[in-house]
Amino acid sequence: MLKLVPKLARQLIRMIALTALAGLACALLVRFAPGANIDDRELDLRLSEQTRSALRAENEARNHLSSALLGYFRGLAHGDLGYSHSRNAPIADLISDAAPETLRELSAGLALSWLAALAMAIPSGRSFPARGWTAASSAFTGLLLSLPAALLAYLCLSAGAKTELVFALALMPKIYPVSKNLLAEARAASFVDAARAWGLSESRILWLHVLPAAAPQMIALAATTVALAAGAAIPIETICDVPGLGRLAWQAATARDLPLLINLTMLVALATTAAVAVAELATAWSETEAVMA
Amino acid sequence: MKTLRRAAIAFLMLVGTAALAPELWAPADYAAQDRESPDAPPSRSHLLGTDLLGRDRFSRLVYGTRISLLLAPSAALISCVTAGLLGSIAALSGPAIEWAILSAADLFLSLPWLFLLLSVRAFLPLNVSAIASVSITFLLLAVLGWAAPARVVCTGVRRLRDSDFMLYASAAGATRGQWLWTHILPNIKTLLFTQFWVAVPAYVLAEATLGMLGLGINEPLPSWGSLLHEVEGGSIGSQPWLLAPVVLLAMVVGSFQFLAKHSQSGPLEDYS
Repeated sequence: MLKLVPKLARQLIRMIALTALAGLACALLVRFAPGANIDDRELDLRLSEQTRSALRAENEARNHLSSALLGYFRGLAHGDLGYSHSRNAPIADLISDAAPETLRELSAGLALSWLAALAMAIPSGRSFPARGWTAASSAFTGLLLSLPAALLAYLCLSAGAKTELVFALALMPKIYPVSKNLLAEARAASFVDAARAWGLSESRILWLHVLPAAAPQMIALAATTVALAAGAAIPIETICDVPGLGRLAWQAATARDLPLLINLTMLVALATTAAVAVAELATAWSETEAVMA
Repeated sequence: MKTLRRAAIAFLMLVGTAALAPELWAPADYAAQDRESPDAPPSRSHLLGTDLLGRDRFSRLVYGTRISLLLAPSAALISCVTAGLLGSIAALSGPAIEWAILSAADLFLSLPWLFLLLSVRAFLPLNVSAIASVSITFLLLAVLGWAAPARVVCTGVRRLRDSDFMLYASAAGATRGQWLWTHILPNIKTLLFTQFWVAVPAYVLAEATLGMLGLGINEPLPSWGSLLHEVEGGSIGSQPWLLAPVVLLAMVVGSFQFLAKHSQSGPLEDYS
């Protein structure tokens, strides 16, 4: 266990660095995008040139990169995430209000997608009936992969389905092919042949040998799906009108609210890197256990 | 499987050829309005009906296909060329450069790219031209998409670098340039092709997602994203012809994905 401490420290440093860099990259991209300092109100022809200049100056001051970032990180050190001018509320409050909804839907969606993907991947194989099942599963997941998450959300919404199901349908086709290959690889191992020769039933082989052998890579895949789910949250929550972080990000983008956008980008980057760190630590831990065994 | 592969290629070629010269197939210009019949159902003059502004849906679908099918492969090409160059440099240079490039790739991979895309797209001025908006959208996709293929290329080139035939080439006095042009590039071609086939549908879907969120390509230029946005506003129960862009998108993206899945043959297939 002590061997994992340096790895844990390295992962923590990586998480913090990547999250800060993600915020910086978002700020840089937005700052240098054409029209970053243009206010929608400037398009109002009734305003005088003087008023437009004043609006431009106000926007430039608000979006000034170095001072905005410096102010942001200073505030962050005191637990203050800043203020959203578009929503007229502290950003910390907005995030704490929206996060539970997203967390609930994401966890339910991820659980559903994993269950569905494993339910399709486990019976897949090369024998005659399994081959038909594999072909049908691959065709179904291929169809889902060919549709954007926003469209899936709209079609599910039209059919009266729940948001969790949309998350499951958007994520499952990405989990299924990888998990199918991982299970097939584990099934082809010599110790599985040996277990079969000993007369163990297929279900015992699956639980005792195949799933444990594929577990480390499955954990790594689970970390990737967290990142995928975070990305899918924007279109799904926006189309389904769920008051979560995804819809908040879309609202921040359409209202050109840079502080809120940076915070949300950093939050998602933190969640993604944390999931990857947990997966890498779990893999390292399982490898250490295997060596000790 | 070969038959399916050929069918996918034939279908993509057919759609691509039709999209290259939309003037030949489309009965009207994508922006031309028939003000006498807005929101009309399919008829002889309007195969897929008209939208709320009286524009012919079939014409807009053909022109929209051109935009999505020309720009997504262009963006994928930029991503793959960047990935090929950076991945090769990382693998063939010293550990410091390799670390710097792979760390940058890690950063790009951990960035929530849809958030970034949404942010930059939203910050474009409202009066930006349609051509500028489409170019910026796909350029951004190209910039954000180099990291994953670069990592794959780096792993592939590293294995080639350590292979026996490269050792013989070095012993025969091959320079770094000869390594790259004579030995590395021909061997990673398959790998780059696969990454290209993977990137194209991903970019088409990304543009469609942005379009459905109302942050895609500006009007009046059509794209699959803006056509799908129209599906969202209509009623597919009473107007099933609205699903035509969905069917075409699914078939095209499905064909690209099928080709990506089945182009992983050759000596580097296990690298991805």
